[in-house]
Amino acid sequence: MLPADCSRRLVAELQGALDACAERQLQLEQSLRVSRRLLRTWEPAGTLAPEARLEPETKEEDHSPACTPGPQDLKELELLTQALKKAVLARKVTSKAGERAKAPSLKSGSFATSPGMTASTPSWAPGQAGSCASEAKPTRGIRQTTVPAKGHPERRLPSAGNRARVGVGARATRPGPGLRDQHVALSAAPEAPESFTLKEKGSLLQLPTAFRKAASQNSRLWAQLTSAQPRDSTNATAAAKTYFLQQMQTASGRPGPVLSAAEVEAEVGRLQEACSLLRLHMKEELSAAPTDWTQEYRCLLTLEGLQAIAGQCLHRLQELHAALAEQPVAPCPVGRPSRAPPPCGGGAGPFWSPQLLLYSSTQELQTLAALRLRVAMLDQQVHLEKVLMAELLPLVSSQEPPSLALCRAVHSLLCEGGERFLTVLHDDPADS
Amino acid sequence: MGRRRRLVDPAAEAGAGALPKVIAALSRSLPAGPSPEIFRRAKFDRPEAAPALWQLLFRLLSPRSADGASASLALEAQVCLVKSALRSQGYPRLVLAQLPEDGSRGSRELLLALSWLLARGPLPEQLLAQAHVQLGDEIPVCECEALASPGPRVPHVEAEGPVDIRCVQWLMGRLRFRWRCLIASQQEQCTLLSKIHLYTRGCHSDQRLGHLSVAETEMLRDPEGGQQLLRRLERENTGLEAALEWRRGELVFWRWMDTVLGACPPEAPAAATQPTFLPRIAERGLGRLELAARELRALQEELCEATGRRRAAWEARVGGQGRGPQWSSARQALQKAVEQELAALRWAWEQDRGPARPHGPHRLVRCEDEAPGGQHLRAAEVIQALRSQEACLEAALRRLQGQCRQELARLAGALPGLIWILPPRC
Repeated sequence: MLPADCSRRLVAELQGALDACAERQLQLEQSLRVSRRLLRTWEPAGTLAPEARLEPETKEEDHSPACTPGPQDLKELELLTQALKKAVLARKVTSKAGERAKAPSLKSGSFATSPGMTASTPSWAPGQAGSCASEAKPTRGIRQTTVPAKGHPERRLPSAGNRARVGVGARATRPGPGLRDQHVALSAAPEAPESFTLKEKGSLLQLPTAFRKAASQNSRLWAQLTSAQPRDSTNATAAAKTYFLQQMQTASGRPGPVLSAAEVEAEVGRLQEACSLLRLHMKEELSAAPTDWTQEYRCLLTLEGLQAIAGQCLHRLQELHAALAEQPVAPCPVGRPSRAPPPCGGGAGPFWSPQLLLYSSTQELQTLAALRLRVAMLDQQVHLEKVLMAELLPLVSSQEPPSLALCRAVHSLLCEGGERFLTVLHDDPADS
Repeated sequence: MGRRRRLVDPAAEAGAGALPKVIAALSRSLPAGPSPEIFRRAKFDRPEAAPALWQLLFRLLSPRSADGASASLALEAQVCLVKSALRSQGYPRLVLAQLPEDGSRGSRELLLALSWLLARGPLPEQLLAQAHVQLGDEIPVCECEALASPGPRVPHVEAEGPVDIRCVQWLMGRLRFRWRCLIASQQEQCTLLSKIHLYTRGCHSDQRLGHLSVAETEMLRDPEGGQQLLRRLERENTGLEAALEWRRGELVFWRWMDTVLGACPPEAPAAATQPTFLPRIAERGLGRLELAARELRALQEELCEATGRRRAAWEARVGGQGRGPQWSSARQALQKAVEQELAALRWAWEQDRGPARPHGPHRLVRCEDEAPGGQHLRAAEVIQALRSQEACLEAALRRLQGQCRQELARLAGALPGLIWILPPRC
């Protein structure tokens, strides 16, 4: 058994790593869901699958126990289904008007029932007429219109958007607007249902104008904003800001600037990098074979210089350590202070890059993504290795006599990444 | 006020209307920005302006991922978080920490804190970038963002007492498994992305891009979601325009803030008993420092040993020979050269290494032709950079493992009568 504080630290560290992994997995799965759905046959908007809504609200609705419909809900549902049946009949009678603007109204009718009620499909017997969309199999009862391949209807009924997120059981007033929309939908145009797959008709798609305008304006504004940055450093504004900061500092009565947590971390990071650079140079010098005395002397001087620098870095770390150790800890009951994410370029680099990343094949993209993950994983492994070394090696060396099981476990963790184990044999002199 | 203007500046002389406009622009560029009236009241330290400013600061300082949950926090909790966050960023004034927890007072101090944050960095742009609507399939080219923010959540599983080492082994195994799953999912996502890009070739109005991204295709599939995306985009555009307006006129604001600071009573100098107040850093920070110190100590020892040997060998070789003038001038030249090299080495890490490496998220574009991309990144370059990083990290890992092996072998050697059979290297 490991001592309590050591256990706590190790478990916390590993759990943190596991959590980080889980978070990535979650994001990846969201993206996968979206992508898979895009590559399937596109459902017309009328029978919207509940999983279309990726906002957190929907997720909560999925899991809330209040999802199961009560008798009130079933009554409303019954009303709605009847109205929709009427609409289906009426539509069969009216001729095709070819009005795209009606599409959203029809959609809004079926919206009323779909979102958020994924958990309770069995109790919805009137499953036809598109009144409910079960999670796996959206019904095609009201598939009267399809989403037109080109563009999308710009005019929408204002109520449609709001209702999309409210579950059926929410309010009794809901069938009201639903019915109203049904009346509008009665004269809607039935269009021949077509199935749409990205594979066949993907190249026919076209982005809506409003979006295109907004997107180009967006990139134009960002370009303006990022080019405005460097100008700042040469004019009066920067001077005014510096002056203000200085005044703030002197007005506070403190002798010198206080180191922020982010700065300390950044400095520790720099010193760690210093360590690896120094080590690299040391290796180079030691492995170089000096051919004459000048080179030998130079090598010697370099090594001594490296040693001096290492000493200075260590000294700086000790200073930081001492400063940290004496600070009073003020408890904050809620969460932790936020940390400004340190950009790896340092300073105020571009906030995000308008530069594109071009790839030429699936293989290349896969390699890129896999390598990225591998680098992240290795970085985590190196960090964990250091942590484990710091915790476990002292344990093993402090035990007298060292427990074999512990030695074996520690060896596997530290030297083999936990993947392989060594074998220990008793060498019994009596037998040989 | 009698303060001499440092520079004649057209913005400052634009008249009385300039300041409210600039403040309004600032408000529009920030999330949850209060009205200019709040700012004016804050200058006079009116209590009614305080809650709005607390909430604004909270919004600015809380981690972006916690938006949904944290918006519902009570004012007291927000106050506490703001204080702690400002402290950890090194806010110099002590008055802030002494403001009441219920958020009822201190609007002038909060105004100063806001300005302090604004002066230190391009805050509106950073916030806008964080909330930026991603239209393309973005893939980060480097891992620094992901590595810098390790799990903001409090770990929900905490070992309460001593655990067996097998628990540690199990957790490591779980971690390995999770990484494998992650890599597999990622490969699938890449395939799907590639297909989507292929199928939508020729659709994009922007010639450079050539095909749609997932977000854009999704928008076409789901017009409702598309409308939401459009609204978000338009909101972002409004924010960007406001930020531009702010940048153009912010000098007026800084002049005004000088007067606000001047109106504050001078702070009593820090009491002698209170030490230089450094922010509370999570235990993790301290641990990292110790790890770094450990590494440096180990390095220093190795260097000490190596230099000792070399110096002894050198003395033995040269000691007998005379020291002529030729020798000393050559020696000086060498010393200088080495000093310069080492100075360059120091600069390498002290300067935080300029943006030589591309970083940050980039939009993925499938482009089969071999035409020189010019200003755009090619996947092959990124792959190369990542491979070299991978090699570095693997070398570091192997070195550490080697160290452990040596150490454990040494400890095992202390136990006679045992044979240690190492697992085969594969």
